[in-house]
Amino acid sequence: MKINKAVITAAGRNQQTLPLQTLIDSDGTEKSVLKIIVEEALRAGIEEICLVVQAGDEKAYAQVAGEHAGRLHFVQQKKPLGYGHAIYCAKEFIGNDAFLHLVGDHLYVNRSQKGCAQQLVEVATSNSCAVSAVQAIRETLLPFYGAVGGMPVQGKQDLYKIDEVVEKPTPTQAEQHLVVPGLRAGHYLCFFGMHVLTPTVIDILRKFIKKSDEQKIHLSPALAELAKKEQYLALQLHDWRYDVGVKYGLMTAQIALAMNGKDRDEVLATLLELLATRELKVLGR
Amino acid sequence: MSKLVEIITSASPEVRDQSLDAFCRSATMQEILNECNALEKFRLQSGNLYERVRALFFLYAMHRFHLPLKFTETKIGLIPFEGFTNLLNRRFEEAIDIFLAVQEKNGANDAISSALALAYHNLGFQTLANQVRRSVRSVSGNHWMFRIGHPADYPLRIRPELLDDSDNATFPILKEATPVRMDLTHSGWSDIFFLGMDFPEGAKVLNVSIDLAVRGMGMRRPKPPVEAYFRVIDRPVIRLTSVDLGATTEIKNLAELFDFARDYLGLLKAAVIASGIVPPGMEGADQPLADLLAKLVKPGHGLEIVSRVNGIPKGSRLAVSTNLLACLITVCMRATGQTQSLVGQLRENERRVVAARAILGEWLGGSGGGWQDSGGVWPGIKLIQGEQAAEGDPEWGISRGRLLPSHKIFYTDDASTETRQKLQDSLVLVHGGMAQDVGPILEMVTEKYLLRSEAEWQGRRQALGVLDEVILNLKSGNVTAIGNATQRNFFGPIQTIIPWATNLYTESLIKQVTAEFGKDFWGFWMLGGMSGGGMGFIFHPEKRLMAQNRLQEIMSATKRKLEKAVPFAMEPVVYDFAINENGTFAELRSGSAALMPAGYYSLTVPEILRINSKELSPHTRSELDRFSAACKTNPNFSGMISNLFDRLLPSSDNDEVGQKNLTDLLQKNGFDHVQHERIRADLRSGRIGLAQNRLPVSSKIEDVHENDVFDATGSLNQKYRDIGLDALSDGAVAVVSFAGGAGSRWTKGAGVVKALNPFAKIAGKHRNFIEVHLAKSRRISQLSGTDLPHVITTSYLTQEPIANYLQMENNFGYSGPLYLSPGKYVGLRLIPMARDLRFAWEEMPQQLLDEQAQKVQDSLHNALINWAKQSGEGMDYTDNLPLQCMHPVGHWFEIPNLLRNGVLKELLERYPKLSYLMVHNVDTLGADVDPALLGLHIDSGANITSEVITKRIEDHGGGLARIDGQLRLIEGLALPHEEVEFDLSYYNTGTMWVSIDRLLEVFKLTREALSNEELVAEAVRNLAARMPTYITLKDVKKRWGKGQEDIFPVIQWEKLWGDMTALPELSFQFVSVPRNRGQQLKEVAQLDGWLRDGSAAYLEGICEWE
Repeated sequence: MKINKAVITAAGRNQQTLPLQTLIDSDGTEKSVLKIIVEEALRAGIEEICLVVQAGDEKAYAQVAGEHAGRLHFVQQKKPLGYGHAIYCAKEFIGNDAFLHLVGDHLYVNRSQKGCAQQLVEVATSNSCAVSAVQAIRETLLPFYGAVGGMPVQGKQDLYKIDEVVEKPTPTQAEQHLVVPGLRAGHYLCFFGMHVLTPTVIDILRKFIKKSDEQKIHLSPALAELAKKEQYLALQLHDWRYDVGVKYGLMTAQIALAMNGKDRDEVLATLLELLATRELKVLGR
Repeated sequence: MSKLVEIITSASPEVRDQSLDAFCRSATMQEILNECNALEKFRLQSGNLYERVRALFFLYAMHRFHLPLKFTETKIGLIPFEGFTNLLNRRFEEAIDIFLAVQEKNGANDAISSALALAYHNLGFQTLANQVRRSVRSVSGNHWMFRIGHPADYPLRIRPELLDDSDNATFPILKEATPVRMDLTHSGWSDIFFLGMDFPEGAKVLNVSIDLAVRGMGMRRPKPPVEAYFRVIDRPVIRLTSVDLGATTEIKNLAELFDFARDYLGLLKAAVIASGIVPPGMEGADQPLADLLAKLVKPGHGLEIVSRVNGIPKGSRLAVSTNLLACLITVCMRATGQTQSLVGQLRENERRVVAARAILGEWLGGSGGGWQDSGGVWPGIKLIQGEQAAEGDPEWGISRGRLLPSHKIFYTDDASTETRQKLQDSLVLVHGGMAQDVGPILEMVTEKYLLRSEAEWQGRRQALGVLDEVILNLKSGNVTAIGNATQRNFFGPIQTIIPWATNLYTESLIKQVTAEFGKDFWGFWMLGGMSGGGMGFIFHPEKRLMAQNRLQEIMSATKRKLEKAVPFAMEPVVYDFAINENGTFAELRSGSAALMPAGYYSLTVPEILRINSKELSPHTRSELDRFSAACKTNPNFSGMISNLFDRLLPSSDNDEVGQKNLTDLLQKNGFDHVQHERIRADLRSGRIGLAQNRLPVSSKIEDVHENDVFDATGSLNQKYRDIGLDALSDGAVAVVSFAGGAGSRWTKGAGVVKALNPFAKIAGKHRNFIEVHLAKSRRISQLSGTDLPHVITTSYLTQEPIANYLQMENNFGYSGPLYLSPGKYVGLRLIPMARDLRFAWEEMPQQLLDEQAQKVQDSLHNALINWAKQSGEGMDYTDNLPLQCMHPVGHWFEIPNLLRNGVLKELLERYPKLSYLMVHNVDTLGADVDPALLGLHIDSGANITSEVITKRIEDHGGGLARIDGQLRLIEGLALPHEEVEFDLSYYNTGTMWVSIDRLLEVFKLTREALSNEELVAEAVRNLAARMPTYITLKDVKKRWGKGQEDIFPVIQWEKLWGDMTALPELSFQFVSVPRNRGQQLKEVAQLDGWLRDGSAAYLEGICEWE
């Protein structure tokens, strides 16, 4: 299975300006959020990228994508019919190929040399199946995530075979259906905002949309269905992910990027100075 | 290897199911003691729950039932107080160590065995309860609730559908309706958790979800009996309302939510916690509830939960409260996204979580039912059965079975639609109205199961056979055979396992129905823990309607006949019922349909109307609009306006009538106003009270000396017997049974006459206390050839019922002279002082309960202290039925009553040779006019001979002591320290032999002077003044609503006959008698032990029924 297409969703209401924000990437250069995400995809060997956007956002996105603008295809999601529907909008771009999917408001900072998307694509390629990136999350944060249940794949560290997918489960449901051997008590594997999906997902979404009667279509039920139809794996990543859409999300992402790059010392010094001059002064009084 | 350890550990059912009784019957005392040692060692090292618990129950039974029979000599033993306090504090292991050390040092004896038996028994049940609690916590879906302790970690969110108030400022209401369950087979209480966990293959019930309508209450057709409503509100509180209990509260902080007994909303609070809305892990967290609600709902918002039971009375044996709890938990789980669907039915795995959480909720609320009780959550008919524990289960390696059973729903293959209809057309469901406490029965079942007593074990197997039979009959549609099977089950296995499952009332109903309907009555069917409450009668379908009408009449008439003898909580009712094929089911009500049940508004609208309308929130205003529209158009809301007026302007007529009745009754029964005023003033000023009952600390209290007590436990010299028989033949003796008391421990303050309570089947019939006492007098009369005069003393509470009963039963065939001696003194109860309540609950040693039950009890105690303060400490207690406000003034007055009411005078005139009275309490069943003891009394020349017994752990309340050198009886409440009682070897039986002339002398009276009423009254008053007055706390029940009961502690005063022993002018002789003769039956829970330890057989031996 070769993966050279990526779909980035950025059509969420009140979220379409997030990819346009500018940050200093770990290499010290100023980039838009979108560009950082696109580069994450490119590092994974992706050649073509489809951006699902709201009508009229194409130009602004193309602008901030800089030199990568040429690789971008734009697809409009005309009505806010949910996350699953947004991906479905890219069906023609996807065609019959597996694809990497990223969300437009998450940034990733990797611990190792390999990018997060790169690790995911490698695993999907070698196993020839859909793979979602996951992280172990405490049960208290379950209201914010889609979560998976399954069993570890023997002999392969951090890889799990997914049996169940539930969007924002309660701990009650999680304990019954999503307990994964080897995790700490009260921890569950939750989505990381990054997936490699097969075109089967599009078929499933199509079925859902047909029955939906203009209701919102979510991705998790489609992934739950996917797990029943074909092999579907989860790769537990130990890197960091930042949601720039939450309060102080952009700032946190910026600090994280800086701490992982060449300006680390400078940023640390600035933070320390800020603390010393403001907080310590206050204490001194 | 020890034989009993082998029985416990054997893998083979033939060995494992052997009974303890069989082993002990032929064993010597030493062999049993050796087995006790072996079992004690074994239970300490065994890691298996079942082995430990069975060993504990074996140890209990050997000490309680078998060893006492083997003690050949009466060896007086003392129970160490330290061990006793450990027992009270639930430190059972420490208590056992102390008792065993004493046994080792002094040798085995009856007293220490009684203490060990109690400790092993309680430890056994505590071990079981702990395991159930651990298992509930470890059910998957429940773990997280014990980990969450801070709102910042709170993981639940309300379903978005419930937050949508866009339709006219109205949050939608989620309504859950749940059927109750009935048990179609009653297979030997096999739904007790431990049975399922130890004997999963034998734990089976056929359980049916049903809708109900109470006939004659205007309900058109059966509907789910319990309902719960849930909605978001625009205030950051949890508002809880119980429509049927008429209670509502707003919870503003976490501590209030965990305070279960402060109001009637404990069940709703338990549901909020067990559903995870406020997880149990948050108990004690000092965090604002509003922070949690802001996360769960949204800032500034909260929840409202309303429960309603549709006219079904408490104690229906249909698991109403468990299903209501399950219903509430379900609605809370749905609303917080813990179930897949917001409305409709539940999925199987969700039902199981609900069932587990209902068990958790019951434990939180300090109660508990069986594992089939939440059966209403499941649809239709289902077979619920125990499951073998498998690897991966939390029970694996600990018990043989799982905590939660499996539910196999019956589809039309198992019971066709036609059969279901036939069942509905034949079965008449009723609530007989009896008030019942099934707790002791469930303990008995567990105990008997563990002991594998032969007959009971056989009964259990038979009950399983009946279940299989019913399943087959359901398949073939043979309802007649079902009726036959359930009736056989009731009269066979059920009563073999627990004789107390039946009672006179139930058997009388069955007899009447059988006589009236003949072959059209297909069978009786007992529901739940015991009969008398919820019951079923199966008839030919054509007769069902008539049977429904007749059963109502028969039950009401039988209740009227027995209501003074048997505690009834309510008027009997007949139900219409239908099988509910949905199980629990929810719907969402939005917009103008978003209404709570009508009764909710009679509780809440008066409060809202008191608020200035401008201050009402848009949501409240919108709700008032909907309510007012519903009053005009919705038939469920008809009559609401007049209801509201009644609530706003309550009537006071009933109070006035009650007060007048009370005043009349007091006057009629010799109420002394002056004395009452004095007692009340003394109580309020602190001159008298519970603490002031005690003798000064400086009193020297010692145990009896060696020759203080005459040992009459063995057979007495023939000389005494001859003297006694002569006296009997001469008509020199009469017997006086004290039956004036309310027997509040027997009926828990229900106000029925204990003396008339048909407490047990003896010689094939239910017999009451009076009948038993008369049967003993009959035997003595036959023995001596002279009729023995028998006097029954009564009081305002017991005179009329006893007189009527004796007339109705023709004196139970007693041909000898029978007198009633009505009471001439009565008291008026007082609201307790907070300091007396604190003294009783905080300073006296109290039995600590299971951790959660104790929390509930502490909370209840606080609520009752507040009640006393708010109602006025030391004020007259008048807020109840008049008879419940009055109190008997202690048995000291029983003999003076004989003097004052002329009964003694009449006796002496009729029997001039009458010189002796044997007086005894109504609950001292073994006491009879034994010729030898009578002879002993006459021969001794003592003025009074008092019978005592050696003490066991349950014998509380004083004893025989040397007080400052004087040998006398002392009441427990007069002892300066609790531990003193544990140094006393003998306990007062209350039975005395009195020489009449000598007693009259003490009153400064003569036989002739008895004709002078004034002289007698003054004589009594003078002696009474020399007797101490004790202040006591008694429980009194107040009934309200549909079978609801509240228990209040009230203050009353009494004088006690035992204090006569302190009079220097009377000479006393104390004799020690066998336990069977001297023991008293104080509580219903003692009955089973009484039946099993040979006491019942002893009694039967001294009775003559014809």
